[in-house]
Amino acid sequence: MKNKVSPMNLVVWLRLVVATMLAIGVLCPPEALAQTPARFYWKTLSDANAVPVIVQSFSGNTNPFDSAHTVTPGASFDATMALAGYARTFSLFDRAAMGAIIVPMGRISGEVTVAGRTFNKSANGFGDPMLEFNINILGPPAQKNIPDVMRYEPGFSLDLLVDLALPIGEYDSDQPLNIGQNRWYGRLGMPIIWQLGPWVPGRRTTLEFLPAVWFFGDNDDYVGQKMKTDPMYQLDAHLTRDLTEHFWGSLDATWYYGGKATINGVSGEKRNDFGVGLTLGYQVTDNLNLTFGYKSTLNDNAPGDLQMDVFTVSLVYGWHPLVEGMRRLKGGE
Amino acid sequence: MVRKPGNLSRLLRTLGIVVMAAVLVIPAVAFAADTPRRPNIVIILGDDLGFADMSAFGSEIKTPHLDSLAKDGVRFTNFYTNASCSPTRSVLLSGVDMHQNGLGNMDEFTAPNQWGVDGYEGVLNDRVATLPQLLKDAGYHTYMVGKWHLGKKPEQIPAARGFERDFSLLDGAGSYWDMTNFTAAAPKSVFTEDGKYLTRLPDDYYATKTYTDKLISFIEAGRADGKPFFAYVSHQAPHDPLHLPQDWRNRHVGEYDKGWDAVRQERLQRQIELGIMPAGTKLAERMWFIPDPIVLAPATRAILGKKMELYAGMVENLDFHVGRLIDYLKKTGQYDNTIFLVFGDNGAEGTDLFKMIAGTPGTRDFLFAAINWSQTHPNAWGDPGNYVGYGPMWAQVSMTPFSQYKGWVSEGGIHNALIVSGPGVTRPKGSINSGIMHVADIMPTLLEIAGASYPKTYQGRELPALYGKSWGPVLAGKAESPRTEQDYLAWELFGNRAVRQGEWKLRWLYKPLGKGEWELFNLAADPAERKDLAAERPDKVKALIALWDDYVKTNGVILPSRSPFETLDDQLPKRVPDDPGYPPLIYKKQFVPPRDMVADPKP
Repeated sequence: MKNKVSPMNLVVWLRLVVATMLAIGVLCPPEALAQTPARFYWKTLSDANAVPVIVQSFSGNTNPFDSAHTVTPGASFDATMALAGYARTFSLFDRAAMGAIIVPMGRISGEVTVAGRTFNKSANGFGDPMLEFNINILGPPAQKNIPDVMRYEPGFSLDLLVDLALPIGEYDSDQPLNIGQNRWYGRLGMPIIWQLGPWVPGRRTTLEFLPAVWFFGDNDDYVGQKMKTDPMYQLDAHLTRDLTEHFWGSLDATWYYGGKATINGVSGEKRNDFGVGLTLGYQVTDNLNLTFGYKSTLNDNAPGDLQMDVFTVSLVYGWHPLVEGMRRLKGGE
Repeated sequence: MVRKPGNLSRLLRTLGIVVMAAVLVIPAVAFAADTPRRPNIVIILGDDLGFADMSAFGSEIKTPHLDSLAKDGVRFTNFYTNASCSPTRSVLLSGVDMHQNGLGNMDEFTAPNQWGVDGYEGVLNDRVATLPQLLKDAGYHTYMVGKWHLGKKPEQIPAARGFERDFSLLDGAGSYWDMTNFTAAAPKSVFTEDGKYLTRLPDDYYATKTYTDKLISFIEAGRADGKPFFAYVSHQAPHDPLHLPQDWRNRHVGEYDKGWDAVRQERLQRQIELGIMPAGTKLAERMWFIPDPIVLAPATRAILGKKMELYAGMVENLDFHVGRLIDYLKKTGQYDNTIFLVFGDNGAEGTDLFKMIAGTPGTRDFLFAAINWSQTHPNAWGDPGNYVGYGPMWAQVSMTPFSQYKGWVSEGGIHNALIVSGPGVTRPKGSINSGIMHVADIMPTLLEIAGASYPKTYQGRELPALYGKSWGPVLAGKAESPRTEQDYLAWELFGNRAVRQGEWKLRWLYKPLGKGEWELFNLAADPAERKDLAAERPDKVKALIALWDDYVKTNGVILPSRSPFETLDDQLPKRVPDDPGYPPLIYKKQFVPPRDMVADPKP
């Protein structure tokens, strides 16, 4: 008979905290600037840090570095893209908040037809860095300590999201295909998490939505022409489910509407595109999370339809000073 | 007209049948006719419910329905059970000391030198008559719901021991959600309903709810004939695993982060204010292996506090379902003619049962637990597949202000709260009594209330003497205690033993919770058993040992050759005194110099 108190198994809680950090999307920046993966807006301990490295392989008729997904009919692109960034969580007015910077980089090549001319072009380098700020406005309070983490359940959570891309990425006005976009653009969104059932690792299920609207400034030098882009509406949906305590999957769907581009007064088609995908996530270690995803557009055979399929592999390394310190103490025993 | 002999014979046979039928029917008619004078009886037993867990006994846990019974009746502050569940239940239902009624030891721990010995069968033996048998014979309906733990064979189950209707868990514990039990050797809990072994549980089963549903249906079904009923409501709650519905889990979030010492102090303060404990009562020492919560990290206090949050939720859920029963009785006009007894079956549970049950990696039961009981995440606490108990620190809170907990014959193992309300209780409503009561008293008390008596023989067998004394004079306000200063009570379980006479108590506990020798306490001055007076009062020790010897001789006590506590001294940290504030090192706060003497370093 054992009466010994096991006040708290620190290793268990260490893992819980780190697992929570890694499982949440706040430490998993988007696989593409315009899209956010499942579990992106889960909340974690304030003052946590993360560095993501995300590698994506695209094929389609739009430039994946362009959040407007401006379709170039008849074009064909292949791109390899990486996103690296840094994210930090904090508490603001007792609400969970997050700030992040994400820098896209990579290369893209393909055939592009502009004003009746076809180009075989390629581009590489750094894209437009994007600043992101997110704050929860409806849902549990910020997790300022481990007891808060322990008691966190999203229930029904609603956030306010603000993105702003800085037009400092590599841009060549002589080229129709660029990594940088040569314009300001950003997004306002309201990420929603709806917890379905218990919040127990291995059994968590969520339904998540991201309604958002993108705003685009003008590109005054798009191969010597002026490109205007209408606001674009976005709705992401994810049904996510833990498969084990460390392994989860999600069914993803994305819908874009609007975003009509006008080049020198010649308007293109507005977007009305629908895509579906699948994401699998696995926690490799206490600090390292791996995801693999695939997404593809549907009903995309008409010339003006967006065509895109994307493979994504992400690695996210997350840490928190408190957790790291606890680990060191524990390791020293 | 000449009657044929055959016709006469038929007539006589007919007359005989009529007479016999009349003989059989008349008592029932007579009982029915005097129903208003014979109350219904409801015993509400909380499994491992602690002395201080009801609001009426100083708890912050909200128990309005149980409290309402206390307001309508009397609270007893010196009520004793045995140190664990089946021994208490056996005494409750037989009125006979556990060493005679078959539960001389728990079935799960019967020692080799007790095997095959009368009184140590591990089940309620057939040499005793049961309370439901005698009440049934006296014209009562007899119902039971909940935990039995007194035998599983057909001749041992509730239906065979006097209950007309039952819905019973025969095991000592198990899941609240399904039939999952704890070991690979006995993986399924065994249930009976009306004497039949169940193949499955009802839809929407949750123990506390289903037991209440069943009992209400039993009472309703039996109501038409006007007979009084005896209901043994043997709740599984709040015994661990702390299983409870989701919406009952988050009613005390963060309230217990303050730690067990603070909650114990608050409970004691309320007990003193309520009159449950006298002013000046001190808390029992915090057990030496339990840390001072104020030196723990917030996360530690939160995770340990969450266990108590669940426990509090279980007690409140139990109270809610007791409320449903009370409401039903009020709506059907039966409440005013119902006597209620409410108590816990022993001290609160401070031992990690799951560790005992699940064994260690590599064992058969560990594998079973890995498959069936491995939902260990705190957010899964309360769910099927999770086993969480609340530990010794909170068990001490449940037993405020007493020392130790279930399994031990210190006050924290055997001293429980008792509420009695209803007909026959003429003491002022809401009053408190400190007479020395014992669970064995319930048999003679209820037989007296039912107008029955304890027979010398039952079904051809001579019955052992009752161990208890009727509370009739106490309930009527004619006496303060059923016991005189010369009467004594004694206990033995797992080799731990104790005897109480008046305000004195002698106890022998295995090391390190005890000294492995007799300790003497004056419970009037020291209810928390803090100061061992054995060295100062050898005369009292000697006198009480003589009473202990009498108890052993009278009841056939055989001290076990093996005990679950026999190696505890090697498992727990070395026992040290509980000196508040020691060592000062961990309590010293940052020194703050006088503001006018603060300066930056000179260049």
